[in-house]
Formats: sequence, C-alpha cells, structure tokens
Amino acid sequence: MDKKEVLFQKLSDAVLEMETENTVMYAEEVIENGIDAFEAIDKGLSNGMNRAGQLFEEEEYFVPELLMCSDAMYAGLGILKPHIKLSTSADRFKVVIGVIKGDTHDIGKNLVKLMLETSDFDVIDLGRDVPPADFVRRAKEESASIICISTLMTTTMDGMSEVIHILNTENIRNQFKVMVGGGPISQNFCDKIGADGYSVNAADAVRLAKKLAGAEAALK
Amino acid sequence: MIQIHFTSEGVTAKVPKGTTILEAARGTNVLIESPCNAAGTCGKCKVKVRKSDLKNVDFQDKGLTEKELSDGIVLACHAKVMDDIDVISIEKNQNKTMKIISKGQSFDVELDGYIKKRVQDGVTKVFAGKNLICEESGNTINETFGIVVDIGTTTLVASIVHLDSAKELISRSTLNPQSLVAQDVLSRIKIASDEQGLEKMYTSIIQEINGLIDEMCENTGVSQNNIYEVVFSGNTTMIHLAANVNPYSLGQYPYTPELKGGCHIPAEKLGLHVSPYGLVYFPPIISAYVGPDITSGVLASRLQYENGVTLFVDIGTNGEMVICSAGELSATSTAAGPAFEGMNITCGMRAANGAVEYFEITDHDEVEIGTIGDAEAVGICGSGLLDIVGELVDHGVIDKKGKFAKPDNESLSDALRSRITSYNGKPAFMISGSVVITQKDIRQVQLAKGAVRAGVEFLMISRNVNALGVDKVLIAGSFGYHLREKSLINIGLLPRDFEGKINFVGNTSQSGGTAFLLNKACREEMESLVKKIQVVELSNFKDFDKIFVENLTF
Repeated sequence: MDKKEVLFQKLSDAVLEMETENTVMYAEEVIENGIDAFEAIDKGLSNGMNRAGQLFEEEEYFVPELLMCSDAMYAGLGILKPHIKLSTSADRFKVVIGVIKGDTHDIGKNLVKLMLETSDFDVIDLGRDVPPADFVRRAKEESASIICISTLMTTTMDGMSEVIHILNTENIRNQFKVMVGGGPISQNFCDKIGADGYSVNAADAVRLAKKLAGAEAALK
Repeated sequence: MIQIHFTSEGVTAKVPKGTTILEAARGTNVLIESPCNAAGTCGKCKVKVRKSDLKNVDFQDKGLTEKELSDGIVLACHAKVMDDIDVISIEKNQNKTMKIISKGQSFDVELDGYIKKRVQDGVTKVFAGKNLICEESGNTINETFGIVVDIGTTTLVASIVHLDSAKELISRSTLNPQSLVAQDVLSRIKIASDEQGLEKMYTSIIQEINGLIDEMCENTGVSQNNIYEVVFSGNTTMIHLAANVNPYSLGQYPYTPELKGGCHIPAEKLGLHVSPYGLVYFPPIISAYVGPDITSGVLASRLQYENGVTLFVDIGTNGEMVICSAGELSATSTAAGPAFEGMNITCGMRAANGAVEYFEITDHDEVEIGTIGDAEAVGICGSGLLDIVGELVDHGVIDKKGKFAKPDNESLSDALRSRITSYNGKPAFMISGSVVITQKDIRQVQLAKGAVRAGVEFLMISRNVNALGVDKVLIAGSFGYHLREKSLINIGLLPRDFEGKINFVGNTSQSGGTAFLLNKACREEMESLVKKIQVVELSNFKDFDKIFVENLTF
C-alpha cells in the first residue's frame, strides 16, 4: 500500500471509530502531502461512513454512534472540501426529502438526510408536515431525481400515495423515483401505493437511493 | 371464488382469489389477532396451513423461522390464497389470565355526587345536578349506583359503586376488543376516521362495556335501572371512540381533540345498559395525547397539592406525564412505541400466562426468572423486558451503547458468557428454553426508553428543575405497576437521581374516575385546573433530537 492509500485507510478508520480529532489530523496530512482531496473524501471519509452504515445495519452500531461518525466525517470534510480542484457537484443526484403532511416526527427523516448527504447526495430538506403537492412542486423546481417521504404515524401514511397520485396526474411519474420509509411503512405498503422503493433504516436508504439513482442515470 | 376452510372452527369462507387469510377470517366470525392491523410487522397472526395446500398460498417468508416455514406456518395478513386451502390452526396470543390492575391510589373523597335522591310522599325523585331526571315509586335511596369504566388501549376495567356509601361493589376487567383488530392508538384513529370504521370501533367497545355491566349486575343483583351515572376514563382516542366521535384530527398535526371533556352525554344515546335517564360523564381532556386517564390520575394523586416537585408518569405505548412544581402543572406525551407491550420484540408477548415478567441475575451470576401463572416461559412481557435489559446492562452483558458483549469477553463469568448465543446470525442472550432477547430487541428498548426519558427531561426543563430537584415520582398505569425501580433506573428510563423517590400508584385512571363519580366538586376543580396545565409539545423543541439521541445510551 502506498502512502496515499494508508492515509485513506486511516481516515476511514477514524470516521468509523468516531475519532473527530484524528480525522482532522489525517485530513490535514492529506493536504500537506498534496494528495487529491476529492479522492480522500471518497476513499477515506465516505468509505468510513459507509462502513459505519454497514455496522448500523448489522446492529453493531446504533443511532448515537452513527451520529458521532458523521460528526467526525464532517470535521474532516471541513478541512478537505476547500481543496477540491474540480467542481463535481454537477454529478450529484438531488433528493428532496420531508415528513408527510399531518406528522411532525422528523428524527428518522433527519437521519436519512444525514446519511444521504454523507454519501454525496445533494439533499433538499422540505421539513415536516409537508403537503403532498409541495413534494412534487419542489422536486420539479429543483430538478430532483428522487423524492424521499417519511412518516412515523399510521394516520398520515396515506399522504404518500397522494404524492404518487399527483405525479401520475401531471404525467411526470417517470421523471422521479419515490422512496418511502418510517415506522408504519413496509415493503408491502410501498408496493401498494406504487412507490419505487422502501428502506427499513437510514443505511438501507442510502443503498436504495444509489440503486434508484443508478437506474435514473441509465434512463438519461 | 375459492374456499378457505378453518378446520378447528368448522367455518368455510368463500372469497375471491388473492384474498388474504386474515381478510377472509374477518368476513366470518373466525378471530385471528392482528394487532398491527395487517402491516406485517408484529408476527402475531400466524396460522398453520395444511402443508399440501401451501402451493395454493402466495406468502412472504419475512419474519418466519425455517422451522415455521417447513411446518406450514404463514402470516395470515400477508398470505394471499390462490386456491382452496385448509387452515388447521390459528395462533392464540390472547389469554384469559391476562394481568390487569384495577386498583389505584386514591384519597378520601367527600361524598357529594352529581346524582341525588329525595323522597317525598312515597315517591323518590332522582336529580342529576339540578335537573330532575326521573321519579321512582317508594323509597329507593339505597338503590343508587354509578359505574366507572377505565377504557385502556389494551384493557377495560369497570366497577359498580354504591353512591350512598362510596363502596365499590364489584369490579370486572377484560380485553379491549378493538386491540384484536389494531393494537395501537394510531391504527385505530386511522380505521375510525371513516364512518364505517368508527361505527365498528364504537359498537365493539360499547358492546364489551355492556357485557361487563350485565355481568356485574347479575353478580350483585343491582338493577340496571338504578345506575344513573357512568364515568368514562381513558386516553383521548379511546374516549373519542367510545363517545362515537370521529378521531381523525387526533392523528394529524396539530393533533386537536374534537371532544374537550368536562361534559355529559345521555347514556341512552350511547346505548349503555343503565337507566334510560342515566348520563355519562367525560372528565376534561388535557390534549390529544394526554387524556382523561391522566386527568383522573392527577385527581387521584392530588398532584397539585403536593409540596415540592412531583412527577407523574404513565408508561405505555405513549409515555404520558405531568409535572407539578408549586401548584403549577405541565404535561406532555412521548411516542415510546409498542416495545413495552411486547410488540416488535422477538419473543415479546402481552402480560399473559407464561410471559417472563421478572428477571434477575443473582450474586453468583445465575439467572432467576418469574413467569405469569408460574407457567413454562413462552415469551417476554413488558415488565420482564425492562428487568432483562436492566440486569444485562448492570452486569455488563450489554455495554453503555447497548451492544452485546462478545462471547469471549473475559470480564464476564462463564455462567453469563454461556448464555450469549446467536439468533438468525445476530447476537442474543438466552433467557429460558427457546426464549431469547436479541440485539434488535435491545435497540427497540433503547428507542422506547429514550423517548420517555426525553419527555421527562423536557418536562423538568419546562418547570426549571433538574432530576435532583424532583421530590417524588409517581408511576401510574397497570404496566408501570409491574415494574421495579431498579430496572427503570438501570436502563435509564428515569434518571438515577430518582432513586428512592419512586412510588407505584397503580390504576389511577380507575381510582380517579371513582373520585369524579363520588364528588361533583372534583369535576369543577379539575375542569378549571386542566385549562391551566401547560401542554409541552416535544416536537416543537429544536433540540428534541439531541436530547433523545443522548438518552438512547444506557
């Protein structure tokens, strides 16, 4: 392994181990050695976050650990980002995310948002208690690829099918991928309302978003 | 059309191809419990299909073990039937021995009820407040009764009270029949948001209450015509459903109750088996998620008169709580989820026969368990769950972050290490026989306790006190009654600074409801107090996320 790769590995490990100070230290080392910052984010920081997501799914890590990992990652990002040579933002997939109308429980949504951001998605947060029409309007305005809808309450989940209904009525259903999630949501519900995917947790949501974005890219 | 034959019930349902077994059963009188209302998450609607018929069923293997699959067990809610089949057995989770607490702490209530009788010229006049409601021939003063019903999400408790002596004659309890269709409050709001669903929910609850009334009257010889007033205590949703009021707005932000309480509805309108002139009193509602059961609890515990700072908590699917500091009250509720009811827990079950309800690790690292009915352990109920997690944390089997120790962890004794096993490839701890607690279960407990603890923290903030400054903690509700202080503190559901201050007050929804029945001044007092209670809406706090996450650890 050359020096570069050793350093990427150290960055990844530091994120995974929730070591904010070490992450910052290795990120500075990347800059001092003139190593490509973008590559360091991708193969170091993001890689660490991916591994954290994996451990979360394996039930090794829980929400607090995931948040601490992301703290470390953001600290590293603060150092590396100003040194990215080329703007790569054009390649990033846009996601609009929100909690459906009637519901104000947004912890799950915030977690998914965070995980998507750490995986280099451009996330537009619509907040909570969001009317179905607003999901569609904002997705159009932002030319988003994915609409991500969350709810904790059984009483509000039907609003999700309303989003899909509006997309169908406006004849733009195939322009967006729709992801759903939250306490009362299941794959079965997702299939029933004709959404493109359901994820059981934040780490799974990233995998799903990547898969859907891949399909999206193939279409374009 | 295809035929589904329920062999043990001797019932055949004729349904269109593709109908689920649960849908087919609902069209007949065959009962399949479906607490999650067919979301496919609770795993409680398992039925056994003749193996040779499995090819006619389109089902998902999600949540089923290999053994179950090979035995022909499927989830009724997700098993679509494509051709004729026999359903040979239905899993029964419900049990007649379910533990229900019908008594709660109360206080000496001065006898001055809303119903009064006066005898004049051989005729007894019955008054409700100032209104003459009926006349009876002869002297019937001794025949004056009222009823208190605590309508819980899971259980119903009813009692007949002799209004002249304040004596409770009899008390009966049963399962809330709605819980078989939908376990949680939100599913019931959803079902009852349309007219047909509301009708179904309302009728089933009234029928069950009437059944309890009939049984109690038969046992005591009390005539239904001499029951003049009924008090309905319970959470806001249950009260809406029992009053035949559409609960839709409770399930949508800003979560506004349609009913405010502090009012009467004629008993005849609700079809109750009491005097045709009788009335039903609804105690005042604090908010959509802090209901009349809590108002009754505040009344029963005389919270507003406590010196110092007192915290009242009802732990359940929702953690409802009220804090009182120098006569000023704040209330909130927090979505704990169904873990404490044994739902979403691998071996979770209701507090019925065979449920592990007590768990202790002895000084010699031996495991001691207690089950309901001293039966062989078949699952874990809420109180057992909290005991288990509390003990495992206390003995280092689970670390502060909620993770299981590795089986080769040398700081653990052999006895404990030997119980660390795996379940579907994930870490688990063996409780007894095939009853285990898994890593996923621990995560569910963390989420539930984190939610309640965050509620406690914000309530303390609202009155500007810290845990040390709280003088007394009252744990209400039938679930709470079975908990131990040690476990509540070990898992961090309550702060360690509450040690030694915790009292278990039982079913104060019922005892407070009785106080409402016996003394009309209590009603005015609580109606005006409830208006002054500050309702703390947790989701409006910016750092709720932060406090919640901080409290996920042990």
